Order: sequence, then C-alpha cells, then structure tokens
Amino acid sequence: MSLLALQQQALLAALFGAPQDASKLIAAYAHGDWARGLKAYQGNGHALAQRSLQGAFPALAQLLGEESFEALACALWHAQPPRRGDMALWGEALPAFVAASAQLADEPYLADVARVEWALHRAASAADVGPELATLALLTTHPPAQLFLRLAPGTAVVASAYPVASIVTAHLEANPTLEEAGRRLRAGQSEAALVWRQGFKPRLRAALPGEAVFVAALLSGASLAAALDQAGPLDFPPWLGQAVHSGLLLAVTTAPAATATGDTHE
Amino acid sequence: MAGIGWRHPHYGELLERAASPQRPALDFIEVHSENFFAEGGAALAMLARGRAHYPVSLHGVGLALGSAAGVDAWHLEQLARLVQRMEPLRVSDHACFARGAFGGQTIHAADLLPIPFHREALDVLAANVQRVQDRLKRSIAVENLSAYIAWNGSEMAEPEFLASLASRTGCGLLVDVNNIYVNALNARLQDAAVDPLASCRDWLDAIPAAAVAEIHLAGHKDCGDIVIDDHGSRVIAPVWALYRHALARFGPVPTLIEWDTELPALDVLLDEAAQADRMARTLAEWEAAT
Repeated sequence: MSLLALQQQALLAALFGAPQDASKLIAAYAHGDWARGLKAYQGNGHALAQRSLQGAFPALAQLLGEESFEALACALWHAQPPRRGDMALWGEALPAFVAASAQLADEPYLADVARVEWALHRAASAADVGPELATLALLTTHPPAQLFLRLAPGTAVVASAYPVASIVTAHLEANPTLEEAGRRLRAGQSEAALVWRQGFKPRLRAALPGEAVFVAALLSGASLAAALDQAGPLDFPPWLGQAVHSGLLLAVTTAPAATATGDTHE
Repeated sequence: MAGIGWRHPHYGELLERAASPQRPALDFIEVHSENFFAEGGAALAMLARGRAHYPVSLHGVGLALGSAAGVDAWHLEQLARLVQRMEPLRVSDHACFARGAFGGQTIHAADLLPIPFHREALDVLAANVQRVQDRLKRSIAVENLSAYIAWNGSEMAEPEFLASLASRTGCGLLVDVNNIYVNALNARLQDAAVDPLASCRDWLDAIPAAAVAEIHLAGHKDCGDIVIDDHGSRVIAPVWALYRHALARFGPVPTLIEWDTELPALDVLLDEAAQADRMARTLAEWEAAT
C-alpha cells in the first residue's frame, strides 16, 4: 500500500475507530504536536454528527434530551460512518440503530419515531412534481381498473405498533398535546404514519382506516381498483377530496406511476 | 468584486433586499455545493431564486480531491447535475482528503482532512482534479487548508505543491488568507521564533499570481492550545493586512467573506464585503496614481 493511502487510513482509523488506538495510529505518520489537531478533528466529527442528526430527527432529539442524543449521534458516527460526502444522506441507519440499542430498549417506540422522521427528511428533498388536477376528470371517464394515482413527492407509510404520528406531531407541531400523545402511548394505541410533501413542506398525519394499505398499494404500482380492493374500510370519495386539498394526490393517470415516489416501512 | 457566503438564516432576507431599491452590492453569493445535491425541495428552489439576483459560486466541501481512494463517482455526478442546473460563476473545493478505507468499506469523513506535500499526494490530487474538470468540462479552483496535523514525508512547501497542481491541471487556486494565517499561528505555538505575518507573506509571494482565481477571508478562534478556522467572527486586522499584500501581489481577485458558525446579522457580512471592496479599490487607485 502507498504511503499516502497508509497515512489517510491511519487518520480515518484514528477518527472513527477505538479512541485508545488513535494516538499510536497517527504517531507513525505525523510530526509536531499532532495530538491537539487530532482532538480538533475528532471534535469536529462529533459536532457534525450531532448537528446532522438533530436536523433530521428533531422529535427524537427532544424525546432523548441533549445528552443522550449527543451520545447516540456519537455512537452512530463510529458504528456507521458516512459513506457519502452529502451529510443529508447520513442517518438512514439510525432507526435500526435505535431499535438494536440495549440502552433504549425500554422505549421501543423510539425506532418508529426515527423511521417517521427519516421519511419526513427524505420527503423534503424529493424531486419536485407539481399537481395536474385536470387529470381528475379521468375518474369520471375511465373505470378504476384502468387508472393510477400519482402521489406527492416523498410519500411514505410507516406502520407502527405505537401512536407514532401523534408522538412526532406532538413534538414538532404541538398537535396533539404531549399529554395526549402520552395518553395514546399508554393506552397501547397503534398508528400508521402517512408522510408526504405539500409544495415544499413535508407533512405527516396518522393514516385513516384502510389508508395505509391503500397508499402502500398505490406506491407499489397498483391500479386504483386493486388498491381499493386492498383498502378495506377506506371511504374513497371523502379521501379523494382530502388528498387533493392537502396535496397528497397530484394526478390521475392511465399508466402506472413510478414506484420510486415513496416508500413503505413495516 | 466581493461576495458573501449565503447561509440558511439569510436566505429570505437577502432575497427580499435583492429585490428592493436597497439591493446589496455583491458580485456573487457562495453556497456549499453539497447542501444542494437534493433532487428537489425548498433549498434548491431557494438557490434558483438567489441565482436570479446574483451569480452563484459553488464551493464544495466533499469532493475530497486529495483522497488516495479517488473521487466518489456518485458525488461527482451530483455536482455535475448541480453545475448544469445553476451554471455557476465558479466551482471550487479543497486540497484535502476525506475518503478512504475503514472497517472494510470506503467511508467519507465529512471533514477537510490534511494531505502531505509529497509527490505521490500531488499525483493523486492532480489526477482527481483532472477527473472532476473533465466531467464538469470546466476548470475548478482548489483551496489551501487550515491543517491541524502535519504529515511526515512532505517533499515541498505548500505553495510549491499548489503551484505544481495548477500547472499540471490548469485548475485555479483559491487562496484562503485566513487559513494560511491560522496555520502560521499554530506553527508559532510549536516554535516561538515563527513570525506569522512574515511567514504568510512568504507563502503568498510563492504562489503564481496568474493561477489565483479567488480569495477567501474569514474569522478564526484562538482556543489557547490551538487556533481553529471556525468562520465564526469578523476578519481580524492581521488577515486584512495580508489581504492587502495578496491584492498587491495578485491584482484584483474575486473575494469571499466566509461566515459559517454563529452567524451574525446579514449587514455584518455585507459590511465585511464592503471593506474588502474598499481595500481593493484603494489599492487599484493608488497603483493607477503611481
């Protein structure tokens, strides 16, 4: 291996590996007072990790408190270092990391909170697609089996055994209140969170009965008829009005929508 | 001639003022390229609006041009798409590394990590810069770092290293005056005999003037045992003095006021940019008179 590659691997190992090994890794390749420099770079990394995750997971940060969230960010930084130079992409592994954390096992809803927040984070930067409301007329001229619904950028469904939408919106929008979200959690209420983008604003609410399955089917490319078949209790006419009004539904087409517009998480 | 770093807290205010009769006189606005790699969304739309008022300079912090592991093809494609969308005035990044092997995979440290000034590092940096320029079909500017670790095995001084890079690739040099001053202050912490201003002037004098595409000015933080280039305060007097020296040597060069932490009111940045402009104008008038 070349000297340059060895020097660079040594610094990466010193920054992301076990702290007790850092000094001897660098000592072989650097001169002068490198220890304070190494400390500065380590501090930069940890601060960046915390700042990046705080931006993507604000509700989780509130739930955990500053000290615990900082420790979580630091732990993820070392366990799953960034792979890309765009820090907006780092954090995708956090929900699974939280789910696997022994320290957080007493609060099992936190992993789903993280899943919802990651979906919101990704929706914010999804490709822009504008509404084509004139296409709604197709609903009156074609049978549902020949129609497909184009949903908003970043649309995703996160199914949860916990009132995850209520928990997140209680922290981000004070709706419902924290007390009410806590009551729903203690009552064992489950929710599927529906995430989409209205204009540039990421949106979130609890899915209506049957809506999570319906949206998941649409996202996987099902026709309107097939999705309604799976949706069970979903009352389509009022859903349609609400979906258009809130920007969830952008267009009706006679060709399957690209499945890449959204995601589902069980 | 001067521009400012356009950061999130100032997005709305600058757009509003740019559309008013009191339009701030800026020659360009600078953003970090990686903050606009998204496929869509509010930030990208905001940048498009900013571009309608001022030329945009795309300053990268993630190409990791000095990485022995090479430039990330994905990163380069995102940058190419952004360049195509925004048609920036300039594209720049740093003479640093961030990518490399760790734990059986290639990671990105998301920092501007220092590189040694030896021939192998120059070969890697030149090859990576060339690859970026070939993909973007334009030259880029490469910035000198504040480096907090000095590698063994360096075979040349930093200005010679950067001059060779410019000569081999045709890239521009982005001279960060604050960075060389921070490096000099840190060198003095280890050797009291170092004269920071004199060493910085020597550094500037060794850079080929024709290669300089842009100058950066910023504040830094003295932590006692180390000086950090935190971009969190006004440019201090010694850095302004070095800027005057750089202008005398390089001529009028586009200059950026960088401010990334503890952002002040927009007017503070505009005031710093105005000072840079005044300094350049005074020097030009003096040279014309003599």
